[in-house]
Amino acid sequence: MSFIELKHIGKKYANSDKNAVTDFNLEINEKEFIAFVGPSGCGKSTTLRMIAGFEEITEGELYIDGVKMNEVAPRDRGISMVFQNYALYPHMTVEKNISYGLKNMKVPKDVIKKKVDWVIDILGLEEYRYRKPKNLSGGQRQRVALGRAIVKDQKVFLMDEPLSNLDAKLRVSMRNEISKLHRSLGSTTIYVTHDQVEAMTMADRIVIMKDGVIQQISKPMDLYEHPQNKFVAGFIGSPQMNFYDVTVNGEEMTFADGSKMTLPKATAEKLSEHKGELILGIRGEDIKFDSQNIDVYKQNSQQAVIENTEIMGNENNLYFQFGGALTVARVSKYEVCQIGDRVEFVFMPHKMHFFDRETEQAI
Amino acid sequence: MLTKRKRISNWILVAVLIVLSLFFLFPVIWMLANSFKTDAQITADMNSAAAFIPPALTGSFLDNYISILTNTSFLRYMLNTLFYAAVLIVLGVIVNGLAGYALAKIKFPFRERWLLIIMLLMIVPMETIITIHFLFVAKLGLLNTVIGYILPMIVNPFNIFLFRQVFISLPDDIYEAAQLDYCSPVKYFFTMVLPMSKSVVATVSVFTFLNVWNDYLWPSLVFTSSDLLTAQIGLNAITSNENTTMGQTLAVITLITIPVIIIYSFFSKQIVEGVVSTGSKEG
Repeated sequence: MSFIELKHIGKKYANSDKNAVTDFNLEINEKEFIAFVGPSGCGKSTTLRMIAGFEEITEGELYIDGVKMNEVAPRDRGISMVFQNYALYPHMTVEKNISYGLKNMKVPKDVIKKKVDWVIDILGLEEYRYRKPKNLSGGQRQRVALGRAIVKDQKVFLMDEPLSNLDAKLRVSMRNEISKLHRSLGSTTIYVTHDQVEAMTMADRIVIMKDGVIQQISKPMDLYEHPQNKFVAGFIGSPQMNFYDVTVNGEEMTFADGSKMTLPKATAEKLSEHKGELILGIRGEDIKFDSQNIDVYKQNSQQAVIENTEIMGNENNLYFQFGGALTVARVSKYEVCQIGDRVEFVFMPHKMHFFDRETEQAI
Repeated sequence: MLTKRKRISNWILVAVLIVLSLFFLFPVIWMLANSFKTDAQITADMNSAAAFIPPALTGSFLDNYISILTNTSFLRYMLNTLFYAAVLIVLGVIVNGLAGYALAKIKFPFRERWLLIIMLLMIVPMETIITIHFLFVAKLGLLNTVIGYILPMIVNPFNIFLFRQVFISLPDDIYEAAQLDYCSPVKYFFTMVLPMSKSVVATVSVFTFLNVWNDYLWPSLVFTSSDLLTAQIGLNAITSNENTTMGQTLAVITLITIPVIIIYSFFSKQIVEGVVSTGSKEG
């Protein structure tokens, strides 16, 4: 049996006609790390806050460890939470911030001391033990917030965009620390983020949301390789997947600008039921410029003029017009191109994704 | 580096401020200097610069003060007032603070209307409702009691508004974090909200103290027993007594001014911060 169950969860605010969250169904296993990801306003934080008990659940049922939690107060749900703005108590020292919950739980003093010492030790906060939050950096504050969450030994950790206020470098190291903590504590974690990299690198499974509706629940690589719709395909991956309006007729695929490609038999057969107007999606790294691939897929080779390049250090992004859309290809740092260069390229046929143009669902 | 012109204008500004300060300080200096003198000395010095200079430190230097503090009940009145102020500060912070917190953070029907009513009450002068207070206290049989004096003074619309303005900016996620830390709403108010709003607590405490210390009308209506009188009433009683000398009168006035000066000099920063943070001022 799953540890956390969300059954047909919905949220409707009194002053709104639209649901903020609609028919949210999810089963989370014990010790699992789940990430809710999506653009601003997609309902991911609202769902997390419903699990925490800070937002009323207007539809559906929430179970934690087999107990229905809809009407249970936040403090009695067995959860800890790390907030986006840390929510540290500004007038208390690091030590008091961490121990405050335990004191309220009437934990014996010697146990509190032992636990606080352990948390301060594993988070490297000894130096800052008697400092107040205003005298700490963003990363240190975040660690205190984490410490406050883990010290209570709760079964579920909820994290609401905990790294969004940190700079890029610190975010990477904190990402690492949170993953390590999750592994060592073995707690069930729900992590909300708008950053797909955080979700991809930390989560066992990712829930992608848009307009309050779950778009896909999958393991990170499944999500990347097998997106269930155009939104997921576009949201996951950087640079974004390239999309083209195409017309498929048998094995022949025609782009909006008249360019043509021949599809492999298997793909053509799969698409035969959806004959007609489709959306083709292909990731930047699946557009190849090397002679070996061009030789193999020679019948589909295309040409374009480079409009812009982005040197990323470890790789380059090449921008050019093709198929009636701006296309971005990701190439290795050794494949150097100049703006204005005419280049030859091929799409890797087995890496193409097709979506219904009306429903935008994957085919 | 300041330019020469800027330096000169700064000096002019400082000079003007010094002159203005002296202008406002003259009566205070005069009062202080003459509070140590006998009536004969005051009259003799009246038309000279000596009126602003205290007498020599002789054995009779503090006679006026000693006489006021030993021969009258003024010390008692001062202690009474300090006690009333302390009680009203504690009760005022709790009651007005809770009301301000409710108006800032708790959703209930007609919340904005309530706020409007409280803001409207701020423009009603105390003198217009004092009769109602008096009748209320009289009906309860609390005239000439400490409770009767304190009860109508606890709630203060201005202080509620002041608290509300500060509490509204407190982040909600701290309350949520405290909830998960097993903190009850009442405990949250006392252990989180008030310590996080020290400057407004200080401002309200100072305003309450000054209100109590300077109030004449309400205690003069409630109290008849001399044991319960406040400093302002004591001041009036002493100064209107024909046996009181001019020097003693000035000594009483000096004594009654000292706490106010101390409060202003210690808490001026908090008073300014508190008033600025609410974007309003009293009166």
